[in-house]
Amino acid sequence: MSRAAVTAPGATGKPAIDWTGIATRGRAARRTRAVGVYAFLIAVSVPIILPYFWLVTVAFSSRGGVAETDVLWRSVFILVPAVIAFWLVAMLARSRRQMWTLVALIAVVATAVFVALVGPALHLNNFIFLVEPDFASVIRSKVGKVSGAVQFPNVWHAFGNSILLAGSQTAIVVTVASLAAYYLSRFQFPGRAAMLRSLLVLHAFPVLTLIVPLFLMLYYIGLLDSLFGVILVLVAFELPFAIFIMKGFFDAVPWDIEMSALTDGASRRQAFLRVILPQVTNGILAISVFTFIRGWEEYIFVFTFLVHNTNWTMSLYMFYVRDDVMGVDYGVVSAVGVFYLVPSLLLYLAAQRYLLQMSISGVKG
Amino acid sequence: MTTLAEQLIIERRGFSRTAMRRRVNLLIFLGPAVALTLLFFIVPVLIDIAVSFTDLGRSLRITGFTTEQYQRVFGGDSRIAPAIGLTFIYVFGTLGIFNVTFALILALVTTSLNKVSGGFFRGVWLLPRMSPSVLYILLWLWVVDPSSVGLLNQILMTVFGLETPLDLKTQAPVLLIIVANGFIGASLGMIIFTSAIRGIPDHLFHAARVDGAGTLAVVRHITLPALRWPISFVTIYQTLSLLVSFEYILLLTKGGPFYDTTVYALYVYRRAFESGQYAYGAALALFLIVIGVIFALLGWRFFDMKRLLQQPRIEVQ
Amino acid sequence: MARIEFRNIVKRFGDVEVIPGLNLEIADGEFVALLGPSGCGKSTSLLILAGIYLPSGGDLLFDDQVVNDVEAKDRNVGIVFQSYALYPHMTARDNIMFPLRFKKTPRAEALRRVKEAADLVQVGELLDRRPSQLSGGQQQRIALARALVKEPQLLLLDEPLSNLDATLRLSMRSEIKSLQEKLGVTTILVTHDQIEATTMADRIICMRAGRIEQVGTPDDLYLRPSSLFVAGFIGSPPINLIEGEAANGAIKAGDTAFPATGSAAGPVTIGLRPEHLHVSETGLPGRIAQLEPMGREILYVVKTDIGYIRLLEQGSSARHGIGTAVRVGFSPSDSLVFDSRTGRLVAGAQAQPTA
Repeated sequence: MSRAAVTAPGATGKPAIDWTGIATRGRAARRTRAVGVYAFLIAVSVPIILPYFWLVTVAFSSRGGVAETDVLWRSVFILVPAVIAFWLVAMLARSRRQMWTLVALIAVVATAVFVALVGPALHLNNFIFLVEPDFASVIRSKVGKVSGAVQFPNVWHAFGNSILLAGSQTAIVVTVASLAAYYLSRFQFPGRAAMLRSLLVLHAFPVLTLIVPLFLMLYYIGLLDSLFGVILVLVAFELPFAIFIMKGFFDAVPWDIEMSALTDGASRRQAFLRVILPQVTNGILAISVFTFIRGWEEYIFVFTFLVHNTNWTMSLYMFYVRDDVMGVDYGVVSAVGVFYLVPSLLLYLAAQRYLLQMSISGVKG
Repeated sequence: MTTLAEQLIIERRGFSRTAMRRRVNLLIFLGPAVALTLLFFIVPVLIDIAVSFTDLGRSLRITGFTTEQYQRVFGGDSRIAPAIGLTFIYVFGTLGIFNVTFALILALVTTSLNKVSGGFFRGVWLLPRMSPSVLYILLWLWVVDPSSVGLLNQILMTVFGLETPLDLKTQAPVLLIIVANGFIGASLGMIIFTSAIRGIPDHLFHAARVDGAGTLAVVRHITLPALRWPISFVTIYQTLSLLVSFEYILLLTKGGPFYDTTVYALYVYRRAFESGQYAYGAALALFLIVIGVIFALLGWRFFDMKRLLQQPRIEVQ
Repeated sequence: MARIEFRNIVKRFGDVEVIPGLNLEIADGEFVALLGPSGCGKSTSLLILAGIYLPSGGDLLFDDQVVNDVEAKDRNVGIVFQSYALYPHMTARDNIMFPLRFKKTPRAEALRRVKEAADLVQVGELLDRRPSQLSGGQQQRIALARALVKEPQLLLLDEPLSNLDATLRLSMRSEIKSLQEKLGVTTILVTHDQIEATTMADRIICMRAGRIEQVGTPDDLYLRPSSLFVAGFIGSPPINLIEGEAANGAIKAGDTAFPATGSAAGPVTIGLRPEHLHVSETGLPGRIAQLEPMGREILYVVKTDIGYIRLLEQGSSARHGIGTAVRVGFSPSDSLVFDSRTGRLVAGAQAQPTA
C-alpha cells in the first residue's frame, strides 16, 4: 500500500481536488433529498388527514344536512400556508426566542383570518343530539318517510351502553387477569409451564374464526341478544394478553417485599391484596386502557350477537345512523362521529405512554 | 409440633391446612381465568366441529348427523373457489403493497427526519388504526360516494377534470377493500420497523457513510439486514390477520357487489348469518380455525420461553 | 489535502452548545492528537471533519476551500471508532472491502488491496471470520484496515485504544505510530489518555468544554503548560499544586513561604512535577507517609505542612522509609507559577524551595 509522494511540501503535479464543486453538489443533493422526503410524506398523508378534517368541518358547519366542502377548502387554504410558515420558521429561525415570537405571530394572523373567513359558518346545531333525547324524530321530520323501521334510541343511551360494555369488560379483565397473573408469577404448581405456553398460543389465535360457534353457544346458554353475553366473550378474548402483561409487572416486583410481608405474618392472599397489588398499579392502568379501547371500538361481536336488542353501543349506533340517515343529514352524523372518535383518540394517547414503557417482551430478535 | 411420621400422614391424606389452602388458592386465582378461556376458546372449537356434522339451519334445531356440509364444501358450492381466489388476491395484495412494503417505506422515510416531524407523520398514519372501525369506514364511504359530493370525485372533477363521477364500490371494489385495509395494516409494520431501525447503533450508520455509502446504500447494507426478523414477523402475523378478518370489508361493501368482495372469511359469515346455514358455516369455518391453530402453534416457537418461565421463589402456600 | 482548517466552527445540539468556536489548522502529513476529558467536544470535532455532523456555524476548509456541504462519502476520510463499528453481518474481508464498493474497484483488484491492508495490520488469517468471532484487538485492526484500504487523505481515530487491555494498548500505540510514519497520511487521534497523546502525536491540541486550551508539541505542553488545566492533565504522576498568595517576592502557602521571582502577584498556584522534586538537604520539610515502587522509580508521598506532596525518585529500591523526616527540594527553573484566578501561567515567575 504505497502512497504517491504527496507529502513533500510544494510538490507540483499533485492532483488538486475540487472541493468547492463537490460541496455544491452535496448541498444540492441534500436539498433535493429533503424536499423529496417531505413531498412524499405530505402526499401520502393528505389522503388520511383530509377526510378526518372534513368530518370535523361538516360537524361544525353543515346546514341542511349536506356534506359541504366549502368550509373544508376554505379552512385548508388558511391552514396549509400557516403550517408551511410554521415549518419555514422552525427551519430558518436563528434563536429559540425568535422562533417562538414568529410562531406566535403566524398563529395570531392565521386565527384572525380563520375567524373572519370561516367563523361565521361554524355552529353547533349538529350537536343537537346531545341535548335532544328524541333526536331520531327530529331527523325523520326533516326527511319525511325513511325506509326501515328501526327504532332509534337516544344517543346518550348508546353512549351509556358503550361505557357499560367497555367498563364492565375492563373491570372483569383487570380482576381475573391480575389474579391469574399473580398466581402464574409467584406460585409453583404442576402444569405451570404448559399454562404459560398455552397463554401465548391463545394470544396468537385469531378469535374471529370462532364467531359462528360462539353465536350458537350463546344461543343455547341463553346469553344471546344480551350485552352480558358480549361482555363475557370480549373478556375471554382479552384475557391472554392481559395476563401476559400483568405477569410481566408481577415478575418485576422484588421477592423481598413479599417475603417480608409473609414474615410479618400475612398469608399469601393478604400479601397479594395489601402489598403486591399496589406495586403493579401501572400494569393495571395499562391493561385497563387497552381493554377499554377494545370495548369502546368493538363492533362485529356486538353487531352479530345483538339480534333484536336495541341496547345499542356507540358502534352500532354509528352503523345504523349511517345506514338509515345516510344521505340525509350528514351534519348530525358527523357530529355523532366526532363524539365517538374523540374518546378513542384520547384513550390511545393514554395507552401510548404505557406502550412506550413496556417492551415487546418475549419476542426474539 | 407433630412428628415427621404424623406430618407425612397428614400430607398424604391431603387434609392438611397447607394442601387445602393450596387448592383454594388455585381456585380463587386461576379458576376464573381458566374457566373463561376454556369456555370461550376451547368449547367453541368443539362445538364448531360437532355442528359441522349436523344440519343446523335457520330453525336452530338439529334433526340429524350428516356429512352433507362437507360434501357441499368439497363439491357442491361454486362460490367457494372464487372466494378462495379472491382471498389470495386480497391477502397478498394488501400485504405486499401496504402492510409490509409501504410500512417499510414509511418507517425508513420517517426515521430519516428529526423526531418531531417523523413522529407527526407516523401519528397521521396511525389515525386509521386508532379510529373505531365503523367511523373509519364511514369516512371511506363518504370519500368514495358516487355522486359529486364524494371527496374523491370532487377532487378528480375539479382538479383533474374528470367528467362523470367514479363509483369505486361497483367499478373497483377489490381495489377499494385493499386500499382501505392497507391504510390500517401499514401502521403496525411501520411501528415495528421504526422501533427496529432506532435500535441500530448510530456508529454503524456513521461508519457506512464515511466508507462512501449514499442513502440507498446505507439502507441496503445496514438497515435492511437489521430488519430481517421484524419483516418476517410482520409478514407472518399480518398474513394470518388478513386471512381471517373481514370486519372492514363487511362494513365497506357488505361483500358485494354480489359476492365480488366476499373473501373466504366473509363468505363463512354470510352463509351463517345472512343465509342462516349455521352448520354449513361451521364446516367452512373449521378450515379457518385449523389454519389459526397452526399459526398460533408456530408462533409460540419463536418466543423466548426462558424469560417467561422465571421460577417462583416462595414455596409457602 | 494540503491543509485542514477549522474556522470559527460552532456546534450546537438543540440548546446545548458543545463547541462555542473552534479555530485550528492542521498541516498535511501531521499526526495530531485532540486531548481532553470526556465531553470536551473532541469526538464532535472529529465527526465534523468526517462529515457526519454539519457545523452549526463557521467553516471547515480543506485546501482553503469550504467543505461544510461535502457529504461524508465524498471526503475520502478513513475513521476508526471507539467501538470499531464493524458491520456484524459481514465477514472481516467484506468489512474491509466495503469502502472499495463505492469506488467501483474491480473485484480482483479489490481483493488484492484488502489483502494488502490486512497484512499491514497483521490480520491476514482472520479475513473469513465474522466480527463476533474476533477479539477486541483483532476487531480494532480490521477497523483500521477498513479505514486504510481506500488510501484516505485523512485518518481519524476516535479513542481507538480505550477498549484494549494494557499490553495490547502499548503494542498498538507503536504500531499505529509506525504505520502513520510509513504511509504519511494526515492523522488525527482523539483521546483522553495523555500518555497516548504524548507518545504518538507530533502536536497536541488540548481541549476543554469545546475550547482549545493549548496547542503545541508534547514537550511544549509538558514544560510550558499555559494553564492549570493543561499542567494538571499532562504528566503522570500528576503535578503537585500548591495554592498560595504572592507578595513582595515571596509566595506564602499556609505557614510556608517560598521565595519567588517574576511578576506574580495575588493568589497563585505553584506547580511542581513529582519528577522534578528530590530529597535534599534544604527545602520543604516533611515526613514520608507512603512509598510506592513503580519499576525503575519510587513514588513517595510526603506529608508536609502544606499538604501531601508527591515525589518521584529514580532507582528501583527505596532509599528512605516510611516515617523518615525529609526535605523536598527542586530547581527553581522547574517550577511553574499560575494565577489562581485565571488559571494561566505567569511567564517568567519562579518559586524557590524554602531555605
